[in-house]
Amino acid sequence: MTAVLLAPFTPRTWRMVGYALTSLLLAVPAFLVPVALVVAAPLALLGVGLPLLVGVLLLARHLPGWFGSAARPLLGWDLRPAPPLAGRTVLARVREVLVDGRAWRAAVYAFVKVPLAGVTAYLTLLGALFGALLLTSPVWWATGVDDLAPLGVDSGLDATYLTLAGAGALLLFPWVLRGLVAVDGVLASLLLGPGPAAERIDELVAGRAALTAGAAGTLRRLERDLHDGTQARLVALGMTLARVEKRLEPADDEVAALVGGARTAVTEALDELRDIVRGIHPPALDAGLPTALSTLAARSGLPVAVSVELDRPVPPEAATTLYFTAAELLSNAARHGRARAATLSLTRADGWLRLVVTDDGRGGAAPSSTGTGLRGLAERARALDGRFEVDSPDGGPTVVTVRLPAA
Amino acid sequence: MRTVIAEDNALMRDGMAALLADHDVTVLAAVSDATALLAAVEEHRPDVAIVDVRMPPSFTDEGVRAAIAIRAAYPGTGVLVFSQWVETVYAHQLLREHPERVGYLLKDRIVSTASFLDALRRVAEGGVALDPEVIRQLLSAPTVDAGLARLTPREREILALLAEGRSNVAIAADLRLAGRSVEKHVTAIFTKLDLPPAATDHRRVRAVLRYLEAQPR
Repeated sequence: MTAVLLAPFTPRTWRMVGYALTSLLLAVPAFLVPVALVVAAPLALLGVGLPLLVGVLLLARHLPGWFGSAARPLLGWDLRPAPPLAGRTVLARVREVLVDGRAWRAAVYAFVKVPLAGVTAYLTLLGALFGALLLTSPVWWATGVDDLAPLGVDSGLDATYLTLAGAGALLLFPWVLRGLVAVDGVLASLLLGPGPAAERIDELVAGRAALTAGAAGTLRRLERDLHDGTQARLVALGMTLARVEKRLEPADDEVAALVGGARTAVTEALDELRDIVRGIHPPALDAGLPTALSTLAARSGLPVAVSVELDRPVPPEAATTLYFTAAELLSNAARHGRARAATLSLTRADGWLRLVVTDDGRGGAAPSSTGTGLRGLAERARALDGRFEVDSPDGGPTVVTVRLPAA
Repeated sequence: MRTVIAEDNALMRDGMAALLADHDVTVLAAVSDATALLAAVEEHRPDVAIVDVRMPPSFTDEGVRAAIAIRAAYPGTGVLVFSQWVETVYAHQLLREHPERVGYLLKDRIVSTASFLDALRRVAEGGVALDPEVIRQLLSAPTVDAGLARLTPREREILALLAEGRSNVAIAADLRLAGRSVEKHVTAIFTKLDLPPAATDHRRVRAVLRYLEAQPR
């Protein structure tokens, strides 16, 4: 009961009143978008209106943000502008815009929003202003400030009826307003939101990014633990064995042989540990991808010309993927391709990190060929939304290009 | 011999100090980060500073940077840098400015005490000591240097051992060659690399540097 009585005075009601009025102001200019669309679409079918249509749709993509500018602060609705176009060429972007469901849906919203906002604002003002006016009509009557005759008031009793009507209007209008805003909310989430498929994609992308970042972090921690824990302990054990050896009597041949054997075993364990760590998370990556790639090239067993041009560090997940990809490609070049020389270049341009590895081997590599690990590399690149291309005619040369989106 | 140790892992630090004490090497200070290392070197002026590459706060290349700073500021103090893995770039950085009294070894080498002490001694005496693994990686890398490309396989093998810091006698023993024949190979290497006659040790270091400089950065 109190909720009903106090509804006209809650902040929520007044935020909705604010929304009703501002969204009408926003809706009027936005109405031009669907109107322009109606004009441009048939023209586009004839060919001449295509640039106009694309322009209007580009504008329509901004509508969620436009309406969100009122809905977000007042009602807390999460209306975000459409994500930037993913196409790399102008043609790709044009095609993307033309079939962009969000733009078309947003235009439909802008179309229905005008009558809806008009009705909402009208009823709100009617309820709030007339309600207040009528509620206070006995005062007007008594003071004779205004002539209430047009409303059919010619006695104090009539004024009392009007007071009741005004109170009713005041109590009723918040609920009408809430209902209309709720309708608007449903329309907005249907027409301005990303759509269920896009929403699901967003979730999956976010989930995968968290997973890969988490995996990179875990591997790095594992490397630290192995180096600072296991390796240090093994070296310390080796040192202790060396000290034992030094304290042995010269006559203790048998013990000396045992201790010597133990020390050799420690050395072998350390060698193995080093290989394992290299496969998990190359520690050189901590010094930056350029350093790690130089070291990799130096270790690869064939002459590699390295060129790295980066203006800022590469994120860990991308760095790990690029490092292992380069390692695998160089080892392929030496092993399968019988290459005599290779080049490795890493650049950042147009929002992509681009790793190109070439070799002068015998060629014929394809992601489908078994034993080369190319398929695995392609999957690794795809896991980060990357592209993996192999150009390897029989007789060579082989050019492998890996592109990862640069955040 | 007088040394200081900088190593953030207490187990390694204490073990190394005990091992060195066993072999009559004086450990003047054992510290756990680069700042304390620089202070200890300033105070004790040791023959050699034994430095871990990865130390606090960032656990990346503090040790290399501290070692380069020590070589620049204290000509009489050598540095023996220990790394948990082989990083040829660090070897470049260490040798570029001051190609003497410098060593770069894998931590694993500490276990073979003889080679550890040998490297320590060579650095203290003004020489260079590089880990065999570093040399192996450098050797398998491209030779963009025309002089290096002219070397025969045997000469490359001998240059690798020179780079590790071995003497002619040690090389002869290693490869089961006569001392004279090693000398001949070494001279041939110097000639092919166009290294002018000078103090032999200096030329040896220069030959090693040619290897390092020939690597792509």
